[in-house]
Amino acid sequence: MSERLEIVRAAGLTKRYGRLRALDGVTFTLAPGEIVALLGPNGAGKTTTFKCLLGVTNFDGSVEVDGIPVKDNGKAVRRRIGYLPQTTAFDAGDTCQQVLEFLGELKGAEPERADELLERVRLAEQRGIRVGHLSGGMRQRLALAAALLSDPPVLLLDEPTANLDAASRREFHDLLLELRAEGRTIILSTHFVESLGEITDRVIVLKQGKVALDATMDDLKRATSGRRFMVNVNGTETRVLLDALSGIGIAAERVTAMNTQFEEILAAALREGEEQR
Amino acid sequence: MNAVGAIMKKEVRDAVSSRWLLLYAAAFAVLALGLSYLGQRNLGSVGFENFSRTTASILNLCLLLAPLIALSLGAGTIAGERDRGNLTYLLSQPLSRWELLVGKYAGLVTAISVATIAGFGLAGVVIASFAHSMDVTTYVLLLVLVVALVAVMTGLGVIASVVSSNRVQALGIAMLVWFFAVLFFDLVLIGTVSSTSLGGTGLLAVVMLNPVEIVRILAIIHLEPDLQVLGPFGSYVLETLGTTGATALLSAALAAWVIAPVGAAVVLFHSARD
Repeated sequence: MSERLEIVRAAGLTKRYGRLRALDGVTFTLAPGEIVALLGPNGAGKTTTFKCLLGVTNFDGSVEVDGIPVKDNGKAVRRRIGYLPQTTAFDAGDTCQQVLEFLGELKGAEPERADELLERVRLAEQRGIRVGHLSGGMRQRLALAAALLSDPPVLLLDEPTANLDAASRREFHDLLLELRAEGRTIILSTHFVESLGEITDRVIVLKQGKVALDATMDDLKRATSGRRFMVNVNGTETRVLLDALSGIGIAAERVTAMNTQFEEILAAALREGEEQR
Repeated sequence: MNAVGAIMKKEVRDAVSSRWLLLYAAAFAVLALGLSYLGQRNLGSVGFENFSRTTASILNLCLLLAPLIALSLGAGTIAGERDRGNLTYLLSQPLSRWELLVGKYAGLVTAISVATIAGFGLAGVVIASFAHSMDVTTYVLLLVLVVALVAVMTGLGVIASVVSSNRVQALGIAMLVWFFAVLFFDLVLIGTVSSTSLGGTGLLAVVMLNPVEIVRILAIIHLEPDLQVLGPFGSYVLETLGTTGATALLSAALAAWVIAPVGAAVVLFHSARD
């Protein structure tokens, strides 16, 4: 494996809630300008991983962002990370401008930065509109603008498109690609896997608090190129899963009533590809 | 602007926009005016009383209402953000946990204090226009004491907020504290005096366990310097400490009560990260 620059280094992340191990030795690194999808079923540890990276929860192991240990200097790390939660709880009575002004003060951003970012996420005309009157897509773009206030090199996006329609999702993905082009590292958790191939460079799959798969899209495509896979999935998710696999170049067919997670299919595909090489 | 200032400013802005501040100030003003007016009517002549009598009448209203408002709003600070799913988002910003907590606390104390001062100020202006004599100093002193009590009770409310998993639980704890400090403590005091051989020193120590009682006695010292209204306990306090000594001791205790809860809340919030 070739050596690469690292903007984020997470080593041995372990988090316990009572007797439950939410994370169990999770280790990965992120390179500058990389979009990484963090996948896994509910309860796999995705949000907990984000909390560890942000230093807002106690955990065993270490996190360094831009060479700064989060346990030693959480504020400095959080200045280098823009975080977008799954649901933003901005006050409905605040205007877009007020939201960014407040968060800009917390992040030490210049006042004009809010205007720049509202332009950038195409909310300049909604500057004086109250958050309660924005559509779901607009709110997510506002949250993305908030995440960018301190011009962070790293973005953590927790299910950023979960509540968006297809058009808004596409628009949001375009913004992410622009941000990657600027050299920002983006790690996003998502259930919308059908467009993963278009926007992500790499996939990390968590299962029961452990890393079940960490592979680049190129590795996945290479491992599965020209092969067909039998997919056992729940009927309601069939189309989505087949589209998702197709989106990253994996041809798949056949459906039974078995419930198989997309992430498990990816892992199986990669394993089979490696065995055949 | 630093993080504490930014959080504080936001808290005040939220309080103003939620309108409770205006309602609280208006309620205080109306009740203060009403108490003054009705107090005079009960004495046989309808009209507004002078400042000292008004201040004495309003004292009990202050000790009832200000802790209730401060405790309940304090209980909503951290627990409210947690309920809205906003706590992790706020903590993901480049600020420390103590900065978030102290900013919220300071903003809330400022908002409630401004509302209190506005409500009392309005009542004071109206009463001063009609009263026969004025004792503005005592009136202002009462305001200062109420603001201090607001600071104490907001801090206790914030503790309830930090240790609770949701806002309802925090409010429940806050109401228990209010019930004990404002309503039940007097009964405890009476029971203690009648069932034990607690001397004046012991009684003074027990009194200092309750910031509401500290404020009440400080107010009485300035309204009725002979402390006759406190009976033998008043005589003991005057004989052993004198007016100045008693004021200094009780003021120091009140200052400790202002600092201790918010300090404890910071420690608890820091250790409660999950």
